[in-house]
Amino acid sequence: MPIGAERYGSRADTLAFVACLVLSLVALALPESLRMPIAAALRRTALLPAVAIESQASASREQRQNTILLRAERDSLALAASQVPELEAENTQLRALLKLRARLGTGFVTAEVLHQTGLTDGLTMLLGAGRRQGIAPLSPVIAPSGLVGMVVAVDPHTSVVMAWTHPDFRASAMVEGGKIFGVVAARRGETAGEVMELRGVPYRDSLPAGTPVVTSGLGGVFPRGIPVGTVLGMLSESAGWERTYLLRPAAHPAQVTHVLVLSARLAGDSLEPAFDTLPAAPDTGEVEP
Amino acid sequence: MKVQAPTLRLAAVLAVLLAAHFWLRPAVFPGRFAPDFVLVALLFFAIRSRPGAGAVAGFLVGLLTDAVGPTTFGAAAFSLTIVGYAAGWLKAVVFPDNLLVTAVFVFAASWVRDLLELAASNALRSGAVGTQLLVLSPATALSTAAAAVVTLLLFRGWLRSAPAL
Repeated sequence: MPIGAERYGSRADTLAFVACLVLSLVALALPESLRMPIAAALRRTALLPAVAIESQASASREQRQNTILLRAERDSLALAASQVPELEAENTQLRALLKLRARLGTGFVTAEVLHQTGLTDGLTMLLGAGRRQGIAPLSPVIAPSGLVGMVVAVDPHTSVVMAWTHPDFRASAMVEGGKIFGVVAARRGETAGEVMELRGVPYRDSLPAGTPVVTSGLGGVFPRGIPVGTVLGMLSESAGWERTYLLRPAAHPAQVTHVLVLSARLAGDSLEPAFDTLPAAPDTGEVEP
Repeated sequence: MKVQAPTLRLAAVLAVLLAAHFWLRPAVFPGRFAPDFVLVALLFFAIRSRPGAGAVAGFLVGLLTDAVGPTTFGAAAFSLTIVGYAAGWLKAVVFPDNLLVTAVFVFAASWVRDLLELAASNALRSGAVGTQLLVLSPATALSTAAAAVVTLLLFRGWLRSAPAL
C-alpha cells in the first residue's frame, strides 16, 4: 500500500543525504595521492571477501568452458606429444644459435581479469593477482595479441590496470623498424574507445593502411616491440607540422580474460623477439653469393 | 533489541542478491551487459526504508564500487547516493511488489545511475556518451531489471512482508 510521503521525509533524512552527497563530492575532488590509498584500503578490507569469491567464480566458469576444449585437445596432443622432445631440442638449439632469448622467459605474471559491471570496466580493470604474485606499479600489461595497459595500483592479492582505452593513457610508439615515432592514445568519441590514435607523426612521413605499430621503449614503462595496432588511415594533419593516424588496436581490454603482467626486469628490454616484430635487415642492395 | 522476522527475511534476500553478484554473475553472466545485482539489492533496500537510509546505503555501495576503479573515485558514490535517496522517496508513489512497476523502476534507476556517474566523472562531453547512454546503459539496465523481476518472483512473499525500516 503506498503511503504518504510526509511520513518518510524528515530532517534527519535530508541531513544524511546532504552529508553523503558532500562526502561523494569530496571523494571526487581528492588528489590521486589520497584516493589511491583509500581505494586500496577498501579493496584490502571490505572488498577482499567479495573479490576472492568473484575470482573463484570466474575460475570455475573458466574451468567449465575449458573442459570440453581440453578433452578434444588432449587427443590431438597425445599424438603430437611423441614428437615434442625432438622438436623442443631442435627449437632450443636454433634459438641459441640466433641468440634469441626464450619467449619472455620467466619475467611475467599471468593474471585473470575480474570484469566489473561499472562504467569504468574497460577503462580500468581489476586483476586477480597482486604484490604477492610479484606485480609492481607501472608494470606493463599485455595480452597475447598486444598492449592492454599498465598497472596503476597494487594490493597484496589484486591490482588495478589503466587500460589503453582510458583518456589519460599515453604510450610512445613507432612503426616497426624504428623509423617513425608517435604517441598512442585512445580515440575519444568512438564507441567504447575501440580505436586509437597515433599522434605526432612528422608531416614528412606517411603511413599506409595496414602498417603495424609497436611500442618504442621510450619513457621507460613499456618495453620496445609490444604490438599496439595497425594503421587504418590518416585522421588529421596540421599543415607542415604533424599527422595523426587512426589505429586498429591489437588487443581490446574489454574482451581479454587473462593478461600477462611484465616484470620490471623486462621493462627496459625489448620484446620484439617475443612478438616476432624484429625489424627487417636493411636492404643494402648487395646480393649474397 | 529483538530483530523481527520480516527484517531477517529482507536481509536474507539482500544477502542472496550480493552472493548472486559476486558468485553467480562471474560464473554465468561474464559479458558486458551482466545484471547488476548489487544495484537491485540497493533498490530493494532503499524502497523499503527511509530516504536517509537509502542515501547512506547508496553512498557505501558506491564507495566500494569506486574502490575497484579508483580513477573516477567518488562518481559511483555520488550517483548511488542520489539513486538511493530518490528510491526511498519513491516508495510513496510506487508499489514495490508489482512486477511491471519494479521492472520500470529498476530500469530507470540503472540508467539514471549511469547518467549521474558519467556527469560526475566529467565524461558527458565525450563523443562516446551517446552510445553509452542510448545503447550500452539501456542494455545493462534491461538485464538488471530482468534480474529484479526474477528476484521478486522468487521472494515475493518475503519481500511483501518486509517492514519499512
